[in-house]
Amino acid sequence: MKRIAIALFVTSVLHASVAYGQPVAVELSQTGGYSTEQVAAVATQLRAFGELAPQRLRFNVEVAWAVRSADDSDVFGAAYPYDGGLQVIEAYGERTFLPGRALFGIKAGRYRTPFGISSASDHAYNGFMRAPLIRYDGYYALSNNFLEQGVDVIVGSPRLSFEASVGVPGDVGHAKRRSGLDTVLRGQAAFGPIIVGVSHIDTRPYQPATFARGHAVFTGIDVRWMRDGVQARGEWIAGRPFDGTTTTGGYADLIVHRPGMGPVSAVLRAEQLSYEAPAPFALTAQRYTAGARIRVIDRLSAEIALVHHTHQLPQRRPTALDVGLTYSLRRD
Amino acid sequence: MRWLCFTVGALLSVSTTPAAVGGFELLGTVHAGGRPKAHAVVWLDVANGAGLRPLRQPKKVVLDQRTSTFFPRVLAVQVGTTVDLPNNDRVFHNVFSFHDGKKFDLGLYPVGTVKQVTFDHPGLSRIFCNIHPNMAAYVMAVETPYFSVSDAQGQFTIASVLPGSYTYHAWRSGGADLTGSVVLEAGKPLDIRWP
Repeated sequence: MKRIAIALFVTSVLHASVAYGQPVAVELSQTGGYSTEQVAAVATQLRAFGELAPQRLRFNVEVAWAVRSADDSDVFGAAYPYDGGLQVIEAYGERTFLPGRALFGIKAGRYRTPFGISSASDHAYNGFMRAPLIRYDGYYALSNNFLEQGVDVIVGSPRLSFEASVGVPGDVGHAKRRSGLDTVLRGQAAFGPIIVGVSHIDTRPYQPATFARGHAVFTGIDVRWMRDGVQARGEWIAGRPFDGTTTTGGYADLIVHRPGMGPVSAVLRAEQLSYEAPAPFALTAQRYTAGARIRVIDRLSAEIALVHHTHQLPQRRPTALDVGLTYSLRRD
Repeated sequence: MRWLCFTVGALLSVSTTPAAVGGFELLGTVHAGGRPKAHAVVWLDVANGAGLRPLRQPKKVVLDQRTSTFFPRVLAVQVGTTVDLPNNDRVFHNVFSFHDGKKFDLGLYPVGTVKQVTFDHPGLSRIFCNIHPNMAAYVMAVETPYFSVSDAQGQFTIASVLPGSYTYHAWRSGGADLTGSVVLEAGKPLDIRWP
């Protein structure tokens, strides 16, 4: 799968401007960051995407290479793992149909687990440089590095849709789920500026089978509201990472980009995680983030975030300042 | 009767098709740092407005949203043009422009929805999505029908140019605006160069 995806990616790069005259593009993002937790990170992300005529098959291939100086913190772990190796993140083709007022879409390949607010651009370097606690590899919940290898179908209408994904795990990073059939179900409704989604996943635990038995099962609700440059969003999940344990938690974000703020977007996050398990393995934590994303010039953006957490997170310091720089190029 | 219809049809055709304007096809190239430059906008002002073509609304100008990206990344339109901004992604988008040029905020809208913006003032508009911060595009509105955007080889074409003196302008992302005077005639290319 990895070889096929890389071959597809290289082909896309080589033919970015000539594929049947259709818009095919390649994006390169180079990111560097430093946290006062004394963790530095650097990452390169390449994405090739577009639409192939005449079938109007849309494709998206994303690969990433990233490394960080220490692994005992979750800083910079927002969208891809920092393993130091080349990772195929996504590689899928999709086709969407809009017959009348209906919506039907099918996606096949390797894609991010469609549970809740799950797209890369919702989490990567938008002012937040850490994944939400419920979406980081090591906290007994979900992970932004969960990937499905399978088929995803969406039906309904643009404002009321139901999505089902069936596949096997193709995770990257430290939290790799055991092999087995995954199912993810999601319903989403939009009411004016409000989008509400409910998701359910039944999958295998990523912890060792020696103590993590049964299935990992989570249900979550996500809400997004946006108006006049102010976005509020959040997720809340509850479930079990494996038999005999439960995890509940969520986050609420406020992202503000009003006309008078120029190139600055301000971000705020409050979040909580509670993992209930026999002592001493239980984990409870709250974390608060205040930050900003600044578009320095057209291709260069800076992110800065002040993070404070309480209780038991395995971080080096309870308060940290994270900074990041992202330089992006695109070729059509 | 048949001849009458033919004559009326021919007259209507003469009064509405661009071919009636005549002129030649101006070919040109754009370079920056010695290399061909894509996505540069080139436009011509006509001295004293002589030979200026009337506003010609194309059938449809589209700034598409797909794969969480705007296509094209750089769009040039004549002032007064209405641009369609369809969402062709499965995710919602919120297109806005705050900083320069046309200011608007289209709000959240889903796949299959088309919103429209009329660019009624000249200048550059920077277009973003409030949900996906990596989405960015430029719309340059110009007060002339003589404009073009360079392709991947740095080449551009401006149709129906009448021979004469013009002031040219060129813009590209991250570069200084260029302007200059040129006398154009058929077969004479226009080369735009940034250092």
